[in-house]
Amino acid sequence: MTDSLKTLATALLAALMLLTGAALAAEPDAADDSRAVAERVEDLKKKVIRLNRDLFILEEDLLFPASTQFAVFLSVDAGQFLKLDAVKLKVNGEIVASHLYTERQVTALERGGMQRLYMGNLKTGTHEVTAFVEGMGPDNRAYKQAATLAFDKGTETAALEIRIQDRSSDYQPVVSIVEWE
Amino acid sequence: MNRPVALLPRAPKPDLGSRLVAAAVACLLFMLDAAVVIADVAPARAKDPVYGWVLYNYHQGEALKALTLLEVARERGGIRGHGAYPELVEGGLMLSYGMPREARDLFTRLLEETKATDTQPDINESSAGERGADSGVTLAPGIRSQAWFYLGKVFYLEGDYPQAHENFQKVDALVLEESNSELYAEWLYLRARLAMLSDSDNSSYASSHESPRENPSMNASGKTLVEYLRAQLKHSGLWAHYLSYNLAMAEVTAGDVEKAQQSLRKLISGMEGETPTNHRNSEYRALLDKSRLSLARLYLRETRFNDALRLLGAMPLDSVFSDTALYDYAVAAAEQGQLQRALDALEALSQRTLFLSWREQVPYARGYVLEQLNQPRKALNAFAQASEHYESRGRELIATRQSLTEESLMARLSFLRNNDDIATDAYGRLRVMPSDFGISDVLATEPFQQALSELNELYQMRALLIRREGQLGTFETMLETRRVQRERRSREARFELEQQKAEEWVEQQTSFRAEIEAALAAEDVGFFMTTKQKELKARLDRVAATLAQLRDGSLGNGNSAEHQRDKYARMKAYFDWTLANDYGVNRWAAQKQLRELNAEMQQFESQRAAIEALMSGDEKHDELAGRLIRKGEDIQSLKAQVQEAIAQARSILMERLDKALEQQGRELRRYLVASRHAQARLADQLFRAGQNAEAANE
Repeated sequence: MTDSLKTLATALLAALMLLTGAALAAEPDAADDSRAVAERVEDLKKKVIRLNRDLFILEEDLLFPASTQFAVFLSVDAGQFLKLDAVKLKVNGEIVASHLYTERQVTALERGGMQRLYMGNLKTGTHEVTAFVEGMGPDNRAYKQAATLAFDKGTETAALEIRIQDRSSDYQPVVSIVEWE
Repeated sequence: MNRPVALLPRAPKPDLGSRLVAAAVACLLFMLDAAVVIADVAPARAKDPVYGWVLYNYHQGEALKALTLLEVARERGGIRGHGAYPELVEGGLMLSYGMPREARDLFTRLLEETKATDTQPDINESSAGERGADSGVTLAPGIRSQAWFYLGKVFYLEGDYPQAHENFQKVDALVLEESNSELYAEWLYLRARLAMLSDSDNSSYASSHESPRENPSMNASGKTLVEYLRAQLKHSGLWAHYLSYNLAMAEVTAGDVEKAQQSLRKLISGMEGETPTNHRNSEYRALLDKSRLSLARLYLRETRFNDALRLLGAMPLDSVFSDTALYDYAVAAAEQGQLQRALDALEALSQRTLFLSWREQVPYARGYVLEQLNQPRKALNAFAQASEHYESRGRELIATRQSLTEESLMARLSFLRNNDDIATDAYGRLRVMPSDFGISDVLATEPFQQALSELNELYQMRALLIRREGQLGTFETMLETRRVQRERRSREARFELEQQKAEEWVEQQTSFRAEIEAALAAEDVGFFMTTKQKELKARLDRVAATLAQLRDGSLGNGNSAEHQRDKYARMKAYFDWTLANDYGVNRWAAQKQLRELNAEMQQFESQRAAIEALMSGDEKHDELAGRLIRKGEDIQSLKAQVQEAIAQARSILMERLDKALEQQGRELRRYLVASRHAQARLADQLFRAGQNAEAANE
């Protein structure tokens, strides 16, 4: 089908949708059926969300018990001085996660979203976490920076955040790792 | 001839509501998105990582994931530090996931909780969406008014006019006009529509402050509310034109055709003198063409064919209404006696490639015009072609209805895809085109689109449940792995316990305790001696034994045995005195040690018992296994419900298509019969004319 035919077909469909409006009112039973299905679909969606929630919690309980649970999030504050490309995460010298970012993910991060980059288990004691961040820095130059944090893992859930922030004093991005209380 | 139908943003029928609600809710979503951005300006960073994670999914359009995370957060005590924003975001997510009813309830609740921020000058856009100390929601006035507007629109599109009216009344007109003039115009328009509805069904959706008189639709200046709102809308472009058009259509319905014509003429001349903005140009043109078409049809009704021809002749050929206008033009020309022009218009229509059911009248009309043009042979051919066409279309329709299955329907549709999912438009409709244009007008109907969309959603849900079922299978494997690892650790712990020889320790502690208790009972001072005292006693005993072996005077002067015995006696006496003196302290020290030992042993025992208990049974494992079983049952139950809903949605969809095809079939048969009658009549006429000619020749 040519583009012009497609356009014409779309326009005609739009016109028909308007024209058929009056005829539809003559089918109250069909409308009731439709509404019933729509409500049923919505109700099923609610149940699916609850099921998802239960399975999510079950998975965490199974794989990451609260006493050893360890999560690493990543956030981008503003993102004017760094176009994020990739992140690698090392825990106690071992690479445990790496991620390549899509345009959509970067936008979501720049709009205040936080990505859960890694979820795992750690014993109590001192651990070292290192994040390697790559992207395009100021003046379109390739940018690489690492940040390290040694932290004590207690018997509670531990959460860290890799924070990529714009530093206006020297127009450079800064990578840091902070611990969530 | 078809009666003019009021189109475009005319009050939709209630049964169209649920899909059209998507339009309003999409706007509501954008509004909330703006609110989220506003929220992000002040607290630039998520104060709770889970909220940040929700936003990460929200901004990527992953509604189901984000809703799941919000549910998880709620289960674990909620999101901290963001007030009511997580709920606002949840509402927006519900809308984009196709849960308008849930979202509506949530927004209604949140807006009801909204504090009157107009009286609080320190509250600005940056603090919008915070939950106050009294757990009320603080929304900036602009956002609150927009939210009330959109909620009202959701109700309006659902056909719940009283609720729509109530929500529209909560909008602050000045605030809305200042924050969004386009929405303000739409708000006036929708209120005017409600006022028109209240005039027609004697209910009142009028505002009390604008209509202080007893008559609810009249205000102090004697204007009706609709007139008042129309005056407010005067310079707001399209919304004012829509209202004018709908008022003209209401006049037609009321039987005042003359007034309706005047209104339409005024509207058309007004619109022709304006230059619309680019982004609404097509909408503007569509309304102008629709107004012309409606006026032309009114002229046709009154047999003012010249006026109709003039109006229809001026309509552009690339308009969405150009085909309808062309057909009406042919009708007007035929009625006016300009049959060649009518034929030309019909020929032009026949050349159109797309099949639409209403165009089925064209082949018959062509024959009719040719007959009127006194061209019986050509007319006979045209009717013969029309009969063939209707027969062939009828056979196609029968075959289509007989082989009508969901698969055959889907094969006739071409879906636009976005990755693996079918793409949808802003109204939530699937982006679908018919591969077979015979069903294009059925496909274009709102209920059919809705049924198609619901069926698609149910299939997606079924696919998700199948994935979750697989996930549950992996959970079972995880649980089994956990059990095996636990058993291994239990074996290791048991071995360690055996190595510790715990029983021996317990025996020793028991015997020690018994000895102490016996000594206490016997007040055995010697038992409680300190190590030093024991050493001294041993030395004294050794001295006593040595002295016992010595004879008196055997050691010489100054060192006689007697002298040594006296010395020993003094030392012994002193020692006994010390023992007696220290008995209390020594006994207490021993008892203290015993208590400490008992406590240690008790802890040791309880730890051992706990380890034994852990080794003998696994409550956590049982609890997890129980949850797994329950979730497995939930999935099966949901799968059954989804399957049932799919069957229902499928049956509705097929029924709709079948009914539409049946209706098409009936119309085709009518045209077929009429064409055959005309064919027979003309053949007879020509035969008779031929016979007469032969007779005249003879």
